[in-house]
Amino acid sequence: MRIFASGLRKLIRRPASLVSVGLLVGLLGLILIAAATVGQNGAGRGAQNARALITFPGAYDLILSFMFGLGGLVAVIYGAAVAGSEWSWGTLKTAVARGESRTRYMLATFGAIMVMVAVGLAITLALGIGLAVVAAGIAGISTSGISDADTLQRLPAMAARGWFAVVEQAGLGFAIATLARSQRAGIGAGIAFDFGEGFASIFFPDIIKYMPFAVARASIDTGTQGGFGGGGNGAVSQALEPDTALLLVAIWLVGSLIVTVLFTERAEITG
Amino acid sequence: MASPGTLALATRGLRKSYGSRLALDGLDLSVPSGVVYGFLGPNGAGKTTTMRLLTGLLHPDAGSIELLGRPFTRADRRRLFEVGALVESPSFYPYLSGRANLDALAADGAPVPKGRIEELLDLVGLRERARDKVSGYSLGMKQRLGIAGALLSDPKLLLLDEPANGLDPAGIVAMRETLRHLAASGKTVFGSSHLLAEVQVLADVVGIIARGKLVREGPLESLLTDQGVVRVRVTRADADRARSLLEPIAPVNVTATAGATPADGSGEQWLTVHVEPTRAAEVNRALAAAGIYASGLESGTDLELLFLELTGGEASSEGRMQGIGDAAGPTAAQG
Repeated sequence: MRIFASGLRKLIRRPASLVSVGLLVGLLGLILIAAATVGQNGAGRGAQNARALITFPGAYDLILSFMFGLGGLVAVIYGAAVAGSEWSWGTLKTAVARGESRTRYMLATFGAIMVMVAVGLAITLALGIGLAVVAAGIAGISTSGISDADTLQRLPAMAARGWFAVVEQAGLGFAIATLARSQRAGIGAGIAFDFGEGFASIFFPDIIKYMPFAVARASIDTGTQGGFGGGGNGAVSQALEPDTALLLVAIWLVGSLIVTVLFTERAEITG
Repeated sequence: MASPGTLALATRGLRKSYGSRLALDGLDLSVPSGVVYGFLGPNGAGKTTTMRLLTGLLHPDAGSIELLGRPFTRADRRRLFEVGALVESPSFYPYLSGRANLDALAADGAPVPKGRIEELLDLVGLRERARDKVSGYSLGMKQRLGIAGALLSDPKLLLLDEPANGLDPAGIVAMRETLRHLAASGKTVFGSSHLLAEVQVLADVVGIIARGKLVREGPLESLLTDQGVVRVRVTRADADRARSLLEPIAPVNVTATAGATPADGSGEQWLTVHVEPTRAAEVNRALAAAGIYASGLESGTDLELLFLELTGGEASSEGRMQGIGDAAGPTAAQG
């Protein structure tokens, strides 16, 4: 518990935490304001689509899709940054030299990441809703749908699934950076895997649908209008049922952590 | 010494390779309790590898380690709860303050007594800068914070890899006093260093390692007494004749190494005569009587001389090479 609490304190003060949330909220804000501007000044099909994006309860779909789509990529980078820096900065070395268990240290650190992801997503959701309300105001759209009972009822479950999917992607980044023993290499490899998987899905969709990023996207795709799913891999993500995908997300997450722990336990720390 | 006769640290047949390169080749260390132990060796001799093995960062290929009288294996990481370590450069989260870094470190491993962090910030003189981010610290400040980190759990055994790195003269003096105080209170300090003069001032016991093997170990005073030498610098043309003249007095080594060859390329050579330092005049007289005039002569029980002798002249610093060229030993006399 001491290490977990310490890990949390470290992550709260870490600039990357603020940058990650800032990036998500900033980009989401730009999209919402852009939609408001387009929706405000026209009556064509484009303007109608833009207005639909910022009209509640549909705006929830946009916010969640964005959070879990781009949020997944940000999580890969964040997980890789945290694990990689333990090697790059030599702080894992210091902890091990103090007699700390390598497994406990890495798992506690990842536990702190899981909490930070939840907090980051909650902040993004709250600010995203606020920005959508502002955007709706700019476009002169009513926000009465914000309290849509059906949407609000399924929001917690979707948020939980989304959080789990994002955590899985953070776990992948965490494992990759541990194997690479480097912050930069981990981040680079994490991003490459994410994009590589999307690209490969064009050629091998039946295989890629079981891959970690694809199952993460599929697990939050409920087939609603906006889909709540993120990214541009809808064709791939629809290949798996969300519940099946969720199970695979759990398997990938556990697998990533096992790889992380085994590698860290066996590693010779020379840096 | 706290417990005379007991060992705070012992290794037996410690062996470690990195691929095909053998870093440690059966290292046998015996570090008595309650002493400051100076662990010396040229670059690449295996000092840091030893430190990493002692702190569980590396796994030995063969051999055993005992910490504070009990075996230390991978499965028994809690042995390190009684050990404080600073291995290689100090490692911190750059975006956290000095105090926050110590807080983070205190969450790992052995429990840290309340108020210990403030006490240590005072000890290493960082209280004023404790709120500043470590990224803004100088190398010396990071080093002092690293020493504070090593002392967090009030360890019985302290392992310090080049602890004087980056410290200014005042910092070195303060560190020396701290380490002496720790040893006086019964703790054991095992420190590697390139600063031989510093080790000579500080250490009670010295171990010298070369090419992964321990070449000498023992109380510093007796090692220096046993290893007294007289060194004379003569021209290369005279070297062979000088050697045959001096052989009847004592065994002579010709040390034509980088560390013993004058930097000016004057074609001279150092001869090391294994006699008590008090016999320097006798050596000089023997050469002069044969018409050989030494351009440099030094004698004494300098740790640097001992180090160079035992490590085959693998000098650890350029400064030392220049110093020898000037024949400026503690009892040096120009011939």
